[in-house]
Amino acid sequence: MERRDFLKTMAAAGMAAGGTGMLPKRAEAAKVDFGQVKSVKVDVLSETSWFDNDIFKKNLMDYGGAMTNQYTIPWEWNNAGGYSALITVTGLDGKERKFLMDTGWNNEWMDYIFNEKSNVASMLKSGEIEFMLLSHWHLDHLWGIESTLKHKPDITIYAPKTHYPEDIALLREKAHHKAKTKDGQEVLVCKNDTPHTGKLIECTPDGEKGDGIYSPMPGVALRMFDVPILLRVRGENVLYFNVKDKGIVTVTGCCHPGILSLFSYARSNFEGYKPYGCYGGLHITLFENWEPKFDDIIKGVKSFKLQKVGCNHCTGWIWAEKAAEAGVPVVKGTNKYKEYKKYSTVAKASNVFLTNGDSVVF
Amino acid sequence: MDKERVGASFSCVWGVISLAVVFGIVCLLWYLLLHPDGVMKLYTPMYGFSLVAVLLCAVVLIAKLGECYPFGDSTPELSVRIGKGIILTIAAVLLTLIITYWLFWGFIGKFGVAYFSPQSIVASGGTGAEPFNARENASTAIVYFAAAFLWWALAWTSGFRQWPWSGSSRRLVAASRFFAVMFFTIVTYVILFHPHVCYLFYPPQNKAGVEPWWASFAGTGSAFFSLGIVLCSLAWITISEILWEGYPGRYVDRDARGTLSSGIVSIAASLILGLITFVVLLNVMTYFWMEPFEGGQYTDAPYFRYIHTAEISGFVILAAFILKTYFNNFPSKGALALRAVIRTALAFAGGAVLYLFYFSSASTLLLGKVPGMAQPDDTPLVWTMLFLSVVMIQADFFEGWPMATPHSEDKR
Repeated sequence: MERRDFLKTMAAAGMAAGGTGMLPKRAEAAKVDFGQVKSVKVDVLSETSWFDNDIFKKNLMDYGGAMTNQYTIPWEWNNAGGYSALITVTGLDGKERKFLMDTGWNNEWMDYIFNEKSNVASMLKSGEIEFMLLSHWHLDHLWGIESTLKHKPDITIYAPKTHYPEDIALLREKAHHKAKTKDGQEVLVCKNDTPHTGKLIECTPDGEKGDGIYSPMPGVALRMFDVPILLRVRGENVLYFNVKDKGIVTVTGCCHPGILSLFSYARSNFEGYKPYGCYGGLHITLFENWEPKFDDIIKGVKSFKLQKVGCNHCTGWIWAEKAAEAGVPVVKGTNKYKEYKKYSTVAKASNVFLTNGDSVVF
Repeated sequence: MDKERVGASFSCVWGVISLAVVFGIVCLLWYLLLHPDGVMKLYTPMYGFSLVAVLLCAVVLIAKLGECYPFGDSTPELSVRIGKGIILTIAAVLLTLIITYWLFWGFIGKFGVAYFSPQSIVASGGTGAEPFNARENASTAIVYFAAAFLWWALAWTSGFRQWPWSGSSRRLVAASRFFAVMFFTIVTYVILFHPHVCYLFYPPQNKAGVEPWWASFAGTGSAFFSLGIVLCSLAWITISEILWEGYPGRYVDRDARGTLSSGIVSIAASLILGLITFVVLLNVMTYFWMEPFEGGQYTDAPYFRYIHTAEISGFVILAAFILKTYFNNFPSKGALALRAVIRTALAFAGGAVLYLFYFSSASTLLLGKVPGMAQPDDTPLVWTMLFLSVVMIQADFFEGWPMATPHSEDKR
């Protein structure tokens, strides 16, 4: 029996058995038209949130696992990197506009990325980068905030409203957060000496006008998915671009809500929905392990008919390789990452990741 | 079959107080063992899940399969009753540690099936075979084994009861039931769960286990599909045994000692009702969250919908035990059919209250969980099983102490 037949049988049986057929029909939500862009380019500033997976997992294991408060774990500082991307949107008028997604973790690494491996520092100073989108409040996306704010303390930030006091203290109150090691020593886990003085737009699933999205520029939609996430974090902002003649492209930090759930949302809520591509961490085999549900995602991505899958970070090399083998159109990266002073221990010659220094255009 | 406290000696006030105290004990245990910001932080999640699941298995093994052997069914003397409770509680905890760390990690995992032991997984090397993943994967396998065991242990003791060993010594009945349950547990585990565990590795262990055979029609290769059916069925076994006083199995087992047919009727009825419940719950979820799809995550994931049926069943099972233990299986008067209907309705309502509690901000405060549904690293089954273990320890090991003295009068 095929899955669809099985589900239909179950639905029919369920209605017969439970009377759920008596439930009222759900009202269809009005679809949103947020405009179009000519193209969108993503420059991978840093996708290496940590360099050695085993060290990261050991820190996690030693201090309580995936549900633990991230601020209570004395993470191995030298293993920390960060996640950040520069996004360039070309409007239908041909004009380019830029913004930053996330600001990494380790300040030294992010300073290196922003000053030496890209022009982000100068673009922040000049205002060429218009705003920063914080995808979510995880350490590897937020804790390097000083590296951004030292160049532009009044930058406008879009962030999920679901933050904790420690997050706001780091962002705006010059916090120096410390965690205790097992032998009772306090170690600095993150700091920010340049408080944010600009506008903080706290995003909720309701959106700016009650239509579920924020639209910082035509053709670009930002949606906050209020989902529980590991390390006590909650909620993620994701980006949708409606690229003319191509379709919907998602750009994510970690994509905790699930890549197909993002496209499912777009299918249900966006006018003229046509799937096209995605970029970002896809939060699948981030620990380079495997589970049957990861096979489900490969099958699902194929059925959603994405044409361009750019992935890295928490996607997991294993998943990207298996997906590419299975026929998912994974965008290949280059070996530029080897020119950086550090790179991930799980990076492979298959280049199925868009790694540090790579870019992709949709 | 379980004894019930009857008549005027049962105090509802004591029941409420006891329930409140037990709830406090569960919260304390949660903080000590599992709370993400607590003492031991074992909720990683699968490691803590496996320990709690094995604890519940140990309690069920002692209380249900072994009928608290060598202690008697009822111990009128308070000091003996408390002593029995303490000894059996210590035995259950020791058994948990022995089953987890020696039997699975140190023996079966070391000399037989490698995936039951984190050390063996790490030693085998390869992608993802490091201590954290290895412990999570081994724990996953143990959780599934525990689920199969709980299903058969409770199904056997409520359906077949003492058949075919009735009339034999308690020791013989306990041992025989244990081996019978283990036989069916192993078969069930191999068919329903082992394929999932074999595919927890990269590359998959496809010479040891087939690709999950339900993947083509269930929309997921995850054994949460099987777990959902097992727990939905287990809910009806509990309801039948506790709230319906052994019916419908007792229609063919008048003396409540168990027969082949009562076992078959009981298991078949619970399976059929379990499957119906499974389907109904999936449809209700589809109404609220729309249809799941292959590859979806959070509430869109088929595997989440399946485990959520198990989680809902877990709440109902816990509510049924609470009704029996702390409210003397109210109501105790009137026709059996009416009693059964009212008790079932109360168990469903209690399950709903527990559900609302677990997904409310109160549980965020008490249990340290992140608010929201379908967190991949969280399942209420862990909390439910811990709670259930404590309730069963009080009800069966301590014979309800400090509530009213049981009369140990078997109503059957």
